[in-house]
Amino acid sequence: MASHGAAAAAGSDATSVEVSGMCQTNQPAYPPVPSGDHSWSSSTGAATVSWNYPVDNQSQAAVYYDPQRDVSVSGDNQNVASSVPPVVQSTMGLTSASQSHVPYSNSLQHGYNPPEYTNYYYNNYPQTTNTSAQQGGANQHSGAAYQPLTSFQNSGSYVDPTSNTYYNDGGHQTAPGYGTNNYYYQHDTWNHGSSENNYAQPYQNCSSSDTSLVQSSSSVPANSFSYQQQYNQWPYYYNHSVPSSAGNPVAGSSNTDNRSVNTVSSYSYPSSEPPPPGTTSWKSNSGPSVAPPVQAPGVLEPQNQYVKPAQEISGFQYQYGYHAPGAPLSQNYYANQAVYPQNTMNVNHVPVNNHGDQHKSPNLQGSLTTDTSSENKVQVPVNPRIAPGFSMVIPKSEKKILGADLAKKPAYVSVSVPENDAKAVQHVPDARSLPFSLRNYSMRNLNRCKDEAQKVACQSIIQEITNKAISDGTLLTKNWDTEPLFPLPENLLTTPETSSANNSSPLSTSTPRRRLKSRWEPVLEGNVTDKVEPVAKALMNGSTQSVFVTSNNMVNNWDAGKFLQSRHTPLNKITKRPTKKQKIGSYSSPMQNGNTSSDSDKEQGLTKYYTNATALANSPEEKKRREHRSKRFEKGKDSSSKSRSSAANKDSMAHVRARRAISALVTSNYEDGGSLAVEDMDWDALTVKGTCQEIEKRYLRLTSAPDPSTVRPEHVLEKALSMVDTSLKNYLYKCDQLKSIRQDLTVQRIQNELTVKVYETHARLALQAGDLPEFNQCQSQLKRLYREGNKGCYFEFSAYNLLCVMLHSNNKRDLLSSMASLSKEAKQDGAVKHALAVHSALSSGNYVIFFKLYKQAPNLNSCLMELYVERMRFEAIKCMSRSYRPTVPVVYVAQILGFLRIDTDGSVLNGDDRSDECEIWLKAHGAILSVDNSGELQIDTKASSTTLYMPEPENAVAHGDASLAVGDFFART
Amino acid sequence: MAAYLSMGEAHRRINDYLSRLSDAISDSDGAALASLLAVSSAPASTPLSDALAAFPDFARLASDRFPHLSDFLPQLLRAIHSHSTRRFSDAYSSFEKAASAFLQEFRNWETPWAMEAMHTVALEIRLLAEKADRELAMSGKNPDKLQAAGSFLMKVFGALAVKGPKRVGALYVTCQLFKIYFRLGTVNLCRSVIRSIETARNFDFEDFPVKDKVTYMYYTGRLEVFNENFLVADQKLTYALVHCNPQSESNLRKILKFLIPVKLSIGVLPSRALLEKYNLIEYADIVTSLTRGDLRLLKQALDTHEDQLLKSGVYLVLEKLELQVYRRLVKKIHIIQRQKEPAKAHQIKLDVLVKTLRWLGIQMDVDEVECIMACLIYKNLIKGYFAHKSKVLVLSKQDPFPKLNGKPI
Repeated sequence: MASHGAAAAAGSDATSVEVSGMCQTNQPAYPPVPSGDHSWSSSTGAATVSWNYPVDNQSQAAVYYDPQRDVSVSGDNQNVASSVPPVVQSTMGLTSASQSHVPYSNSLQHGYNPPEYTNYYYNNYPQTTNTSAQQGGANQHSGAAYQPLTSFQNSGSYVDPTSNTYYNDGGHQTAPGYGTNNYYYQHDTWNHGSSENNYAQPYQNCSSSDTSLVQSSSSVPANSFSYQQQYNQWPYYYNHSVPSSAGNPVAGSSNTDNRSVNTVSSYSYPSSEPPPPGTTSWKSNSGPSVAPPVQAPGVLEPQNQYVKPAQEISGFQYQYGYHAPGAPLSQNYYANQAVYPQNTMNVNHVPVNNHGDQHKSPNLQGSLTTDTSSENKVQVPVNPRIAPGFSMVIPKSEKKILGADLAKKPAYVSVSVPENDAKAVQHVPDARSLPFSLRNYSMRNLNRCKDEAQKVACQSIIQEITNKAISDGTLLTKNWDTEPLFPLPENLLTTPETSSANNSSPLSTSTPRRRLKSRWEPVLEGNVTDKVEPVAKALMNGSTQSVFVTSNNMVNNWDAGKFLQSRHTPLNKITKRPTKKQKIGSYSSPMQNGNTSSDSDKEQGLTKYYTNATALANSPEEKKRREHRSKRFEKGKDSSSKSRSSAANKDSMAHVRARRAISALVTSNYEDGGSLAVEDMDWDALTVKGTCQEIEKRYLRLTSAPDPSTVRPEHVLEKALSMVDTSLKNYLYKCDQLKSIRQDLTVQRIQNELTVKVYETHARLALQAGDLPEFNQCQSQLKRLYREGNKGCYFEFSAYNLLCVMLHSNNKRDLLSSMASLSKEAKQDGAVKHALAVHSALSSGNYVIFFKLYKQAPNLNSCLMELYVERMRFEAIKCMSRSYRPTVPVVYVAQILGFLRIDTDGSVLNGDDRSDECEIWLKAHGAILSVDNSGELQIDTKASSTTLYMPEPENAVAHGDASLAVGDFFART
Repeated sequence: MAAYLSMGEAHRRINDYLSRLSDAISDSDGAALASLLAVSSAPASTPLSDALAAFPDFARLASDRFPHLSDFLPQLLRAIHSHSTRRFSDAYSSFEKAASAFLQEFRNWETPWAMEAMHTVALEIRLLAEKADRELAMSGKNPDKLQAAGSFLMKVFGALAVKGPKRVGALYVTCQLFKIYFRLGTVNLCRSVIRSIETARNFDFEDFPVKDKVTYMYYTGRLEVFNENFLVADQKLTYALVHCNPQSESNLRKILKFLIPVKLSIGVLPSRALLEKYNLIEYADIVTSLTRGDLRLLKQALDTHEDQLLKSGVYLVLEKLELQVYRRLVKKIHIIQRQKEPAKAHQIKLDVLVKTLRWLGIQMDVDEVECIMACLIYKNLIKGYFAHKSKVLVLSKQDPFPKLNGKPI
């Protein structure tokens, strides 16, 4: 409660990012029930305040309803009914009733809905885990309840009582869902209450993303890029936003963002009116609008959507695959189109760009949604990499997939357009033929599963059972409700345990638990490979589409649909159980609960952050900046890429996606299995083979899997290296080039003489520029490469290593080990000998020998010594001022401290200059000079011994080299 | 491989071992338990290991018989079996699992009765890890087991270094950790452990067992040698030397190996007899060079034993004795001059020094020798000053060669 309030306050504070960060930290402390109430009251109070976007809402509502109408007449009724009763339960009943138009089993569910809800409110609600409540709602048809909420947008009046209670808890619990965002947003528009600020943020997310997208999509060719940009952009965003937001970013938020991005961009752009609320709500609507036709499963879905984006997404797929008859869906889309010409237009752009050939006309919206969802999914797994906070996302989404397993994985990664129509149509008979009770039954079974692997197994068993039933002809006659559950494929903890665990730590993310489990029950090998391979193949083909269409997906969808359906059943039981714990526990995915709850908090925080930045985000400058930032990532590519044909764009898009997918898989695999060590992965299969032919390439730190089209193969890298060698440009340029060469070598896992040469070249350049950090990087790589038997200038670099350790690290142990590791031959090498001599000069403090060695240094030894010269001179002058009496001639000092250069014939070169230099140096260091009888300049040692000091380096510049000054840095672009 | 064992006999032996182990636990007999856990010190063929070889389903047997120890016994048996068949990497992995289970239980035991067993586990896991690493290195794999053992022992340390009766066992684990870190060359990891030992207010260091204290002081003394913190190193190593069991000569030798260079650097020379007694002849020449001021001998000695000295880590310490040898040389010249012409005894001409060094076979020019003299004065090894104009080292009239008296250079 308190935290919530604080958050709200912060939200109102709009501008300060820090504040938002604070809010986020607060957020983990859950806003329990009361907070919900609080927000509710505020919203009601505010309800009268502003009707900023009534039109938008209306239009949205229209969208929303239209699909419903298409599917079933009751859609309208639903809304009305739900709106009428302020009492939650009654609403529930009504809604469910209205939903009963769905061919399947609604009546069944409908029966227990009311009790469930009550439970939901009174039991679950108090529990801190928002998610559980939410889930309960979802399972229990609360979808209906949620739907009213959406509708509530339309009719402001009735909304408040029901939806608020609902929403508040829903919102708090499920913040991540963009559906919720939507909701929030609406609240926002109506009331500017303090609590609303929170809500506003989600919207802002959308809008902000919106802006960038819109801009990018303003030109049609540019539009195609928008996806890519988003990809890049979001990780980038997270990078930035995460730290500021106390590292709490939620997966949900990412989903929201993505979605909002896609949809919003398309939507707002054509309409040219950027109604932030409209866009958001539209998005959220899109979910439900699709869902209603599906109804039976869909009922859950909308809820989920509101609650959780991830869930919703997956739900979608399943719906399509399983229940939803293709026709209604497409109708929906059409309907949407009709309602929103702009939408369709935008949508058109998007799908055309992305999926090009397929589904242009019928599926516009569908494809759009799927697109977003696919992106979301792709993104979700990626996020954890970028921002550790996101790691929770993965489990969640995976959980969502639940029944889906191996096969499902690919589907998950790239939700496919084909699914929508093709699959839906194809499976319609299937879906229809499966009785709801069977789905319940499979759900019951699935619910007992504790992890992915098991679910996979369960799924297959269910499949078998179903097939058998079909072949027996008992599919429709069998009483699935009384069918005994089949034994689980593995021994598992009992659900109650999990549930209690979940309860006790509502904030715990599923990741750790998952790890715990996986340590003992390693993920099936097949699982992993299955996941990886399709995508990898897809990558190779360059056509992500093919993946989408695989029959696997269909099966997956089917399964998923089942799963969703079956979810209902456990609820029945649950409602009967008295304790909350049990209830929660019996949910199929307790982890999810935990996840969502914590997610929601973080989400709120994140969104808050965005809200705060809203004003900023909407400003044209910010838009520009964002656009710029997002484009940053494309600089490596052809400048002409913009003018590429849409096909090329599509390719690149597919490519990007595939890359994402791979990295996602890698990440998720990694997450999955504590058991699946990194070294167990088949890295060879994932190794990039570069195709880029350009010699020059700027270095950009990779934020995702490398794109082969931007990676140079070995022979090009050789040319690049020789180009750098002969280039006359400055060190920064060369460093940049060499880093990119190194990167390309690394991603292609090239480790040979060329690699050694590159690192050696870079190390030498770094030495010459006095760039020790870079040198050390190269040196450590070289050490490894030499150790692995690659040939190179081993002795030279051994000497550098010795000098570096003795002069610049001052670590005796390192020095010892470096010296001990020298071979006999190495000790005979001139450079190494020199380095060892330097060492002995240092250890006895013999500055005379040191400076002699400095002058005779082979290779670049002098570069390393040079960095030590100043210190050595100061030590020397201190020593001399203490031990010499009464005076020391400056000329002598200049000579032994390396100021004078004595030529081989003994003549002094540039004597005057050097002496002057020495004199200046001595004065700068506090030495007291005097002229003796013969007119020679002397150091008064006794007087100097107390006045010597080390002056602050006056002209300190980056890398100790004036040529690397800041101006230079800016000049290089 | 031992003679064929009947299934029944094998079964009996395993059962016997299991019941002894179980009894030791239920009787809280730490010593018995410790002896039963000594996996790596067991010879390759024992009655038990033969039985394990003959009865491959031993893990099932163990977990069936003692289900409450099912996370411990099967792994332990596997470790013993793998060890006896010289699959050390497998043995280590199994043993680590067993050890984790044991640690889990150990945490729950109120009294430290199993301390001895815990120490055995700590020792065994280190020894097994070393063997496993050798095996892995031979087969070209990454030897990471010792590192893993280190992190496991950190957990053990965490369980022991708490308030209460178990703390007394913490120092033993600390020493095992030291051994691992020194072997791995990651001695910087020692710091956290040391801090935890030395800053604890509720436990007096002196209350630890003597053997652990000696080991601890030996290792921390060595660390101070690395840091060239000679006074502290001297103190710690001397403590170790004094408290070390006088019977265990190898340990005394180990301590002296580091204590002698430390003492040398603060101007204390060992007797020849000591060096001979503990077979530390590599230091003999160095000591002689110090007494004679024989720079050539020093360089020779360092050269001859370079590898050895670099490995033990005292090379840099001994290298620094060079200035002391110079000082000795100057002192000798001074003494001779005093005998020849007492009036000018405190003025030593630079070319005399150069000549002397050349006679020793060391080619140095005037500037370099001058620099060395300056350094000697600067570092308080010689009292006096250097007159550049006349190229003369002028010694102080009183105490020109101050004793180091335990001061490091």
